[in-house]
Amino acid sequence: MPRKSVTPALLRDLRSLHVTVFHPNDEDGIDIIRQLQRIGCQVQAFWPPTERLPDETDLVFLAVRPETLSLSLPWSNGEQKPPIVAVLDYENPTTIEAMLKFSVNGVVASPVKSFGLLSVMVVARQIAARETEQHKQIQRLDQRLAGIRRLTKAKAILMETRGINEEQAYEIIRDQAMAKRVTTEEIANAIIHANEILGFRAKAEVRDLQLVQRKKPIGPS
Amino acid sequence: MRKSTAPIKVGVLFSQSGATSTIETSQLQATLLAFQEINEAGGIHGREVIAVHYDPASSPGTYKILAEKLIVEDGVRTILGCYMSSTRKAVLPVVQRWNAMLMYPTLYEGFEFSDNVIYTGAAPNQNSVQLAQYMMSNFGARAYLVGSDYIYPYESNRIMGDMLLEHHGKRVAERYVKLDADALDFREVVADIKRQQPDFIFSTVVGRATGHFYRAYAEAGLDPRKMPIASLTTSEAEVAEMGAEVACGHITAATYFQSIATEANQQAVAKYRRRFGADAVTNMCWEAAYFQAHMLAEALRSVGTDSIQQLLPAILGMEFHAPQGLVKIDGANHHTYLTPRIGRVDASGQFEILQAAARPVKPDPYLVDHSIKDWSSQVTVASVG
Repeated sequence: MPRKSVTPALLRDLRSLHVTVFHPNDEDGIDIIRQLQRIGCQVQAFWPPTERLPDETDLVFLAVRPETLSLSLPWSNGEQKPPIVAVLDYENPTTIEAMLKFSVNGVVASPVKSFGLLSVMVVARQIAARETEQHKQIQRLDQRLAGIRRLTKAKAILMETRGINEEQAYEIIRDQAMAKRVTTEEIANAIIHANEILGFRAKAEVRDLQLVQRKKPIGPS
Repeated sequence: MRKSTAPIKVGVLFSQSGATSTIETSQLQATLLAFQEINEAGGIHGREVIAVHYDPASSPGTYKILAEKLIVEDGVRTILGCYMSSTRKAVLPVVQRWNAMLMYPTLYEGFEFSDNVIYTGAAPNQNSVQLAQYMMSNFGARAYLVGSDYIYPYESNRIMGDMLLEHHGKRVAERYVKLDADALDFREVVADIKRQQPDFIFSTVVGRATGHFYRAYAEAGLDPRKMPIASLTTSEAEVAEMGAEVACGHITAATYFQSIATEANQQAVAKYRRRFGADAVTNMCWEAAYFQAHMLAEALRSVGTDSIQQLLPAILGMEFHAPQGLVKIDGANHHTYLTPRIGRVDASGQFEILQAAARPVKPDPYLVDHSIKDWSSQVTVASVG
């Protein structure tokens, strides 16, 4: 595979990052900001953390304090979540709990050293990118699974109503899809919808029939 | 209160033995020369500056032990020293623990910052970029990369590799030799170079191995006019060691050459030769060691103490007329504004300066992406002839 660069992209584009630092204006906060500026990032700093992120935030440093536990930070969860690096000053259960609440991608310990900040940023971005990718993949798989379920249901309806086997049912669906130039999934949906409307009574009858049939083998008759 | 007349002790760690002793000895002598000049000019308000020097033998472990000894036993609070990055990394935790200061006069790979360190050698944006540009526009973009096996060559090759790719060029090979590689090791490398016929060779071989490499190149009958070795680490010191006839025609990027025509340089070189012999040569690491000692003295004079809390603010932002021209310590990243140059070794073993930046270039130790667009505006290249 041809590589465009010897240097990994995660590292190459560090300079274009907009980093939001939620940290009190103290020595650690200043050290973080200075080191980010040395690295060449665009930095904004706030305290306390805001409910909305500044536009164009690519990475967040978040000081975790006991009081952050009570904060609601909608941006720290969900699909659009940026990579978050926690800045910890204590390692007690309260602080750890507060940290876990914000599903962070990396941790730096206070007092913050300039050495190590770059690595934690790159790792946090890699983890976050992988999470996003996996999230998308799961969504795709969910959709496919739901599609397969609907197709199975549609086939069952056809088999039931027309007294045909599964293969024949699938052929009908596929032929319809080809004729109407839509996906088999859409045809399956149409069949299910139609059945829900037209076959309402029939379905109830079928259910009764099934109950009767299931009851039959039970007990010696 | 009476003014103290006690001497000020400054720790000096440069190796006089081991793989990189030649260049480190030149850094030691530059430091001693600067101290002599400082003391001849009255010291620090009448207080003599004394160098407490040990030989760390080019070994990181020994560097670490001696740094600790300087601070704990000798009571120094400032150390001038280190050449290889591995030795700087060994000294770094020591100066941090004791809140002492290290001044580091050597080009290195960047990506470091410490409140306790001042970096006076070139960062990659002050030599690698200029060398890549020069070599690609004059010889082509197919390069054969050879380095000693430690961090600096790896990082330099990464930068060079990126810039070659940007120019649709190619790393023909990327090879590493051990620190004490000998003639035999390089015979094989050079045979491969001969087979592959790159446009140029990029060398970050350091220490005594450098001479073996250039000699193997010469013995293989290769022509520096057609396929030169371009280096960031081959200075006058290595050229003197290998002999001018072996080095002649090869190219180096550096922020200082002995041949620079400034008055400050001519004077410094003359004084150096008076003390260390008419054959003594200077080099980029010599110069950084020389000017950083003078800058330290200036800071000591202005604050009157060698405690880092007072010294640092005096050093940060300081300007100095060094042999290479004006230099300045960047207040934010502790590295130094320096003037990049490209030189070619002539028959006398000196560098003919082919190009020089029009003004000092700001150090940018965290620059990841050394793309052409970044520096063409930054470095106005003036041909010096």
